[in-house]
Amino acid sequence: MGLFDTIRTVLGTNAEADATRDADPEDLFGMSTAYVTMEADLGFRSVDAAALCFSGVDSTDFSEVVGDVEAILRAGEEETGTAFELREDSHGWEWVILRDDDPEDLVTSVHFAADEFIERGYGSRLLAALFGFERGGDGGSDGGSDDRSNDDRSNGEPDRAYWIYSFRRGAYYPFAPKRDKERNQRLEFKLESVLDGELGLEGDESYWYPMWPDRDGGHPWE
Amino acid sequence: MDWKPDWGLRGRMVLTMFLLFALYLVFVGALIQTDSFFFLPLMGLFVLAQFFFSDRLALYSMGAKKVSEEEYPELHAMVSRLSQQADLPKPTVAVADSRVPNAFAAGRSQKKSTVCVTTELLRTLDRDELEGVIAHELAHVKNRDVMVMTIASFLSTIAFMIVRMGFWFGGGRNRQGGGGFLVAIVASLVVWIISFFLIRALSRYREFAADRGGALITGRPSALASARMDNVPKDDLREQSEMNAFFIVPLKSDVIGRLFSTHPATEKRVDRLRDLEREMESV
Repeated sequence: MGLFDTIRTVLGTNAEADATRDADPEDLFGMSTAYVTMEADLGFRSVDAAALCFSGVDSTDFSEVVGDVEAILRAGEEETGTAFELREDSHGWEWVILRDDDPEDLVTSVHFAADEFIERGYGSRLLAALFGFERGGDGGSDGGSDDRSNDDRSNGEPDRAYWIYSFRRGAYYPFAPKRDKERNQRLEFKLESVLDGELGLEGDESYWYPMWPDRDGGHPWE
Repeated sequence: MDWKPDWGLRGRMVLTMFLLFALYLVFVGALIQTDSFFFLPLMGLFVLAQFFFSDRLALYSMGAKKVSEEEYPELHAMVSRLSQQADLPKPTVAVADSRVPNAFAAGRSQKKSTVCVTTELLRTLDRDELEGVIAHELAHVKNRDVMVMTIASFLSTIAFMIVRMGFWFGGGRNRQGGGGFLVAIVASLVVWIISFFLIRALSRYREFAADRGGALITGRPSALASARMDNVPKDDLREQSEMNAFFIVPLKSDVIGRLFSTHPATEKRVDRLRDLEREMESV
């Protein structure tokens, strides 16, 4: 507990300060090369989609910002062909969903959208950027099958993994959901050890928040 | 996001803490003067133990159970994302089977915190309102209110113990240096009564602070306001039950009752939340 933290604790303003702290997008771009490592070293291919999760604010100004983000993404769609969609999920959180088979374009689009929120003073409302990966499934055995043990394998379904970038903490962490709200922790640690150094990683596992999909086999943003 | 810090609230909080601190200095001085200082470490241990087990005590007294993601997926998802926004490790989630809508946060540190809601709360509030209530509890965790209130009431609790001990043993026993002991008891009584009101005031200010924090976490001050107006869940268990038991004055919402209460009046809290909403709207 540092001096400022102590003062904030005395004043009871920790929650205010941290809830409104600006986003830290510095390390987001590490994902561009991580896509290559994921495929080459671990056999995980992109699911050709990424998403930006944010929590709304009850104000007209914020709605305008969301409108402008949409305009930016529409311009991007014409240029790079990155399809996008805005959606509110069943929990009331909002998503920008991006689809493109070029990972580079996904990272760039996420960055553009995030940047607009930050520029307009709503960086604190950005929660996470998610980049989806999968391997195996459909009987596909291209690469990576050697280090997959039998019990990880669930009847032909692909292994899913996500790299989640926390804008609050400015770091990535892995999330590998299995069925029934269980996490494939072995896979998560494997991802962590392989990508360590390449991505800025969240060292404190208590901040590896799960972001469960609504249904088994779906993506968190669906 | 646009919002102004509430300097008035911070000022009142600091003033209250300062007064408590000054009062405690006098108290410790009085204990030393009357050679009764030996009470402190002994009872300090007891209070410390209470602090370390406070979360379990609170959960136990509410009959609350830790629940898994399987059992309450929605609640878990909500807590998880709100803690993400608050930059807090996800707390343990517990549910208490109760017919009173209520929620509280327990645990001595941010990493060991638990957020508990009652089944009735889950039943009566809609999603946005529940978000508001949970964000308010997370703000308590973030502000370390359990720790702050434990420290603030530490010597007050000890003063209370000395008073109670005085009632048990003090009466007829006046043999060795009984005078000094009597002074210590009277001093403790005075300290306890004054600190009681200061602590209650501090507790109310911390509630306002948690309301603000919670509203900034959800981005929707109205969500908590409407949850408050609907069924006013009384939060957290930082009240000291022995103090309540000591007073027979009915704790109703007249002026005197307000001094005794740990939580601010609902209308006041809703008013403040409205102010905050206006601030966020007027850029």
